[in-house]
Amino acid sequence: MSAGSHYRHLFTPLRLGPVTVRNRIVFSAHLTNYAAAGLPTAQHAAYYAARAAGGSGLIITEEHSTHVTDWPYEKLIHGFNPAVLPGYRRITDAVHAHDVPIFAQINHNGGQGSSMYSRLPVWAPSPVPDPLFREVPKAVELSEIGEIVAGYAEVAERCIAGGFDGIELQCSHSSIVRGFLSPATNHRTDGYGGPLENRARLLLEIVDAVREAIGADKALGVRLCGDELIEGGTGIDDAVAVAKMVDAGGRVDYINTSIGVATATLFMIEASMQVPPGYAMFIPSAIRQAVGLPVVGVGRFKDPLQADRALDEGQCDLVGVVRGQIADADFAAKARSGHATDIRTCLSCNQECVGRMGLNRWLGCIESPRTGREAIPLPLRSRPKKVVVVGGGPGGLQAAVTAAERGHRVVLYERHDRLGGQVQVAATVPSRAEFLDIARNLIVNARRAGVELRTGIEADPDSIRAEQPAAVVVATGARPSRPWWAADHPRVVDIRDVLEGRVSPDGEVVVVDELGFHPATSTAELLADRGCRVEIVTNGMVVGQDLGVTLDMETWNVKAHAKGIAQSVDLVPMGAAPLAGGPHPGGVELSLQHHPTGTDQLRRCDWVVCAVQPEPEDRLWSELRESAFAVYRVGDCLAPRRAHAAVIEGHRVAAAL
Amino acid sequence: MSSLVDAIAVAGRTAPSRVIFGPHETNLGDDRRISRRHVAYYQARAAGGSGVIVTETASVHPSDWPYERAPLAADCGPGWAAVAAGCQPHGSLVLAGLGHAGGQGSSANSQSVLWAPSRVADAINREMPMEMGQEEIDQLVDGFAGAARLAADAGLDGVEIDVGPISLLRQFHSGLTNLRGDAYGTDKLRLTTEVVAAVRRAIGADHVISVRLCCDELAPWAGITPDHAFDHLATLAGQVDLVVVVRGGPFSVSAYRPDAHAPAIFNAELCRRMRDAAGARVPVVLQGSVIDPGSAQAALDDGTADLVEMTRAQIAEPRLVTLVREGAAHRARPCILCNQACRVRDNRNPIVSCVGDPGSGHETTEPAAEGTDPVAHEVLVVGGGVAGLECARVLAGRGHRVRLIERGPRLGGVVVAASVGPGRARLAELAGWLESECRASGVEVEVGAEVTPADLDAATAGGAAVVIATGSRPRPIDVPVDETITVVDGLSALAGGSARLPDGPVVVHDPVGGPIGIGVAEWLAGEGRRVSIVTPDQIAGTLLAITGDLADANTRLQRAGVRRELRAVLRGAKGGRALLDDVWTGERREVDAAVIIDCGHRLPEETLYQGRPGTPRAGDCVAPRTLLEAVLEGRRRALEVGSGSATSGLAIR
Repeated sequence: MSAGSHYRHLFTPLRLGPVTVRNRIVFSAHLTNYAAAGLPTAQHAAYYAARAAGGSGLIITEEHSTHVTDWPYEKLIHGFNPAVLPGYRRITDAVHAHDVPIFAQINHNGGQGSSMYSRLPVWAPSPVPDPLFREVPKAVELSEIGEIVAGYAEVAERCIAGGFDGIELQCSHSSIVRGFLSPATNHRTDGYGGPLENRARLLLEIVDAVREAIGADKALGVRLCGDELIEGGTGIDDAVAVAKMVDAGGRVDYINTSIGVATATLFMIEASMQVPPGYAMFIPSAIRQAVGLPVVGVGRFKDPLQADRALDEGQCDLVGVVRGQIADADFAAKARSGHATDIRTCLSCNQECVGRMGLNRWLGCIESPRTGREAIPLPLRSRPKKVVVVGGGPGGLQAAVTAAERGHRVVLYERHDRLGGQVQVAATVPSRAEFLDIARNLIVNARRAGVELRTGIEADPDSIRAEQPAAVVVATGARPSRPWWAADHPRVVDIRDVLEGRVSPDGEVVVVDELGFHPATSTAELLADRGCRVEIVTNGMVVGQDLGVTLDMETWNVKAHAKGIAQSVDLVPMGAAPLAGGPHPGGVELSLQHHPTGTDQLRRCDWVVCAVQPEPEDRLWSELRESAFAVYRVGDCLAPRRAHAAVIEGHRVAAAL
Repeated sequence: MSSLVDAIAVAGRTAPSRVIFGPHETNLGDDRRISRRHVAYYQARAAGGSGVIVTETASVHPSDWPYERAPLAADCGPGWAAVAAGCQPHGSLVLAGLGHAGGQGSSANSQSVLWAPSRVADAINREMPMEMGQEEIDQLVDGFAGAARLAADAGLDGVEIDVGPISLLRQFHSGLTNLRGDAYGTDKLRLTTEVVAAVRRAIGADHVISVRLCCDELAPWAGITPDHAFDHLATLAGQVDLVVVVRGGPFSVSAYRPDAHAPAIFNAELCRRMRDAAGARVPVVLQGSVIDPGSAQAALDDGTADLVEMTRAQIAEPRLVTLVREGAAHRARPCILCNQACRVRDNRNPIVSCVGDPGSGHETTEPAAEGTDPVAHEVLVVGGGVAGLECARVLAGRGHRVRLIERGPRLGGVVVAASVGPGRARLAELAGWLESECRASGVEVEVGAEVTPADLDAATAGGAAVVIATGSRPRPIDVPVDETITVVDGLSALAGGSARLPDGPVVVHDPVGGPIGIGVAEWLAGEGRRVSIVTPDQIAGTLLAITGDLADANTRLQRAGVRRELRAVLRGAKGGRALLDDVWTGERREVDAAVIIDCGHRLPEETLYQGRPGTPRAGDCVAPRTLLEAVLEGRRRALEVGSGSATSGLAIR
């Protein structure tokens, strides 16, 4: 079968005005927080170059700010600063080395910003405070509108001087142009407010000025929001009308799309696994029917077949695959060469990519320890060694994959029949099923790298010594711990007891959450689906506090409401007494203290399910640590944490062997 | 009896005053190095008379990276040397803050496991640390000693070891976090004494070792209590040269340097007790909302302490000690304990600053307000809120003839109105100081007079420059409300007093989540009203996270009986009920309401500006924001107008 022939359209070229792309896979714009002091860095260049090397058809960089009044987050590229130019050239040279075109996205975030960094008033069409930043912006005066337009033109010209092949105007989810387009934020009464033609005036002026600045031989794209998902905001009809205006001007080469407003409905822009794939395709579909320009569709494209299908169905002409290529830089190349099953599929977990963006940290990936670190060389390879890995969770598997890929002979022991460790457990909840992909991906890669996988065998010090290893990586995970207040009450159980099927709680169930993430909320959901009446209590100020970081807070709360799951906060368990009779025979009387006020509360229920910190399973490490060979601990057996920590540590230890 | 401004000997070195500028997060770092901006920041306090300056706490080991710009001792040598060179000519002793945040750190930057005495996840970051073995303990001790040696080699006068509310050493002191069965568990002070001994070996008796010692974790069931701390201090007293008495632990990090809801000098009793434990073997420093030189002097006079730490007071007024020495303490810009700009342990990495002095922390980027302009102008400033007052103050100080006209009966603007209720009174002190500075520097003040565009024309025709600082006005509520319910904006309610509000249940509408909504709710609950506060967020007062008041504010609301309507958007009000929808599920709720107090965002008062567009303007009349922006823009306009560079507001943002 010839290259890429699994796909009808994905690997066919397409013209975007003066630029031809070799395939339809776009690494569309997204924040990385790789900038330093407003300038692009070597990390940017290495990051984009890795995706170009991995076969992407088109790279569009993260946004470059067009004006000093626009500095909403710390690590924004200051396109308005001429000092960016050497960094631009470093990026474009690195990408062009792989014969891949690269466009620069330029933007002014408008009212979706803050004066924290700029110490200047935030600019917007009207003094409507943004729901996230909550700072009243300055309504721009006419001369300032001219300054905005000039800023776009100046930065576009600079980008072209820096070697970019085209410019994309971000007018979609966080932009002053969106602010003007949207009736929710544009309350002006002058020529830039009121009817859509007026609200689109700024956009069209910018298009003209930018085209003028970059000339005819560079591509120009406009990214539009198809539905802001806010009250009184732009909907699909307005978006289609604006797309037509853009098309009619004849100065633009393609249209990119998005959904939502970054500072109001971000959970629908970078949707987690709670939202079905392809959820935003009604937008490019509608726009594509109305315009002659190529249209990019986005929204949780995880595998190349899904992307090809969208093209086949005429929903779009190109497909934005961002997280898919964050997780696997070789997404396109693997698909094209017929090795799509080797792709390290994105989980849409949002933990280390989106989650780190909101916290002002550099972009990474839960599955790919090299994402965001491309510019940092790995240690030099050592001569091949015999390596034994104990434990087949994410930490152990990653250690085995990295070691084997670097030429070592690796044997991995897993005492259970199945690999994947706690990922297998977590993914038994239907709404968390996609999390299982991390285990699948690691297993596929371990097999491909030649790791000898010995499942169903409990390694002990003697069997390990018999292997005569040069190094042992202990990745034996963690086991549930029993909270002190639970005493020996048989109806106080761990979430793993529920998810692994050892108990089947029914009736009224209290889930105690000390972790603040998916373990408690997903288990609560499962129990509610099984007919239990569920209440989650937490010592935190909100249930599932970290769900906000991964953009799962909104969907969780909507589901919790639909499933009747009650949520109670600021509560610390103090004891669990048996209930003999009453409505909960054999059940639990749970004592709780409301810690801010010191008041006591009681819950009478049938079961208590605990999502609490587990204990490291580190016996083997203790037994081995004095060995003649090197012994390392990674992941939960060092300290129980989330999957990314295990993956990073497994990789780091194996890369240094 | 010693005075605040008297010198004191420490480890054979002389601090020129008894006022300390303590270590604090600044985000001024150049990655993890001490930067040029740090140097300028510390230098300004040294020039202002600080006795001892402790630089931002540096991590003594790479396992610690608690926030992105946390200094790393190994990278700090050149920066420390530059700080020493900048500060020591003024006489100040400079100590390197040294620490390790342990389980209270963050793995986000290091991507490495946290270190802690025991496997106890921190209450805030909830991350499970690894239990340190002897190997890690030895590395930590070596790290402290190596960092101290580096500091001494850089020319610093010594070090301060962090055993405060965010520190690994405190985690070893505490039964909350140290559950070890080994010698470091049975003797919880053991690691600290090993560290102190190693540091002493590294830098000798002629360098200062200070210890920032947590003496109360406010968690008596297992945490460090003053009784424990008494013993700790009795042991350490002979080994160190200075002890700073502080409070706060894993459940009370914000109690260390709280905002004005905590009384000033809250550690006085604790400090007296610790001074007894010290038994004159080591000077003891009083820390904790010490902002007023008079009270600081009183604490020395009554034996509470030997020195005082006045960190925030010197963030607000770098020249504090010098002004006290000159008998001009009243000229010192007051710290109002708002924590709005100086508390910067936040993922966004804000630069340390001060609402009253936005040049603070920005010494290398904001031009100084002091100085004289070559040509004296006449200037009319319209509006007597903080933006107008700061503008007038700076202009007058630079030699211009300034007339300030305020339409209301008094100066101070919204800040004065907002300074009502528990913990809010100090806000007015900044306005009061600005007013007295204006009057002292000859600003001609007129109140109760309206300014029209024609007046601006007349002023301009007479050769005067004009600055508009007309503030803000309430934003009309944008939902239907029937005649059964009165709507009042928050600041008008505060200014008018609760007696002028109709009887009955009060709904505070707070889409902002800042101090005003919470303050109004607390104030009215305190007046005996039935109050609910409506917020779109999952927690009331979310913007208070940065001031450290978020959890405390919610507890106060709860204790005061204020009902928190969370995740709620106000849809309207009729028949004595406010109609609320859940922001995510759309579920409708109703709450009783006789009056709705709208604490939403305000609108610029730009009537005068619209009459003469292009006139220079500052503060809320550009866009209603916070104190910091008002002061900053008032000052910027003053510098532009004073230097003759502001011809049109359009050139100015």
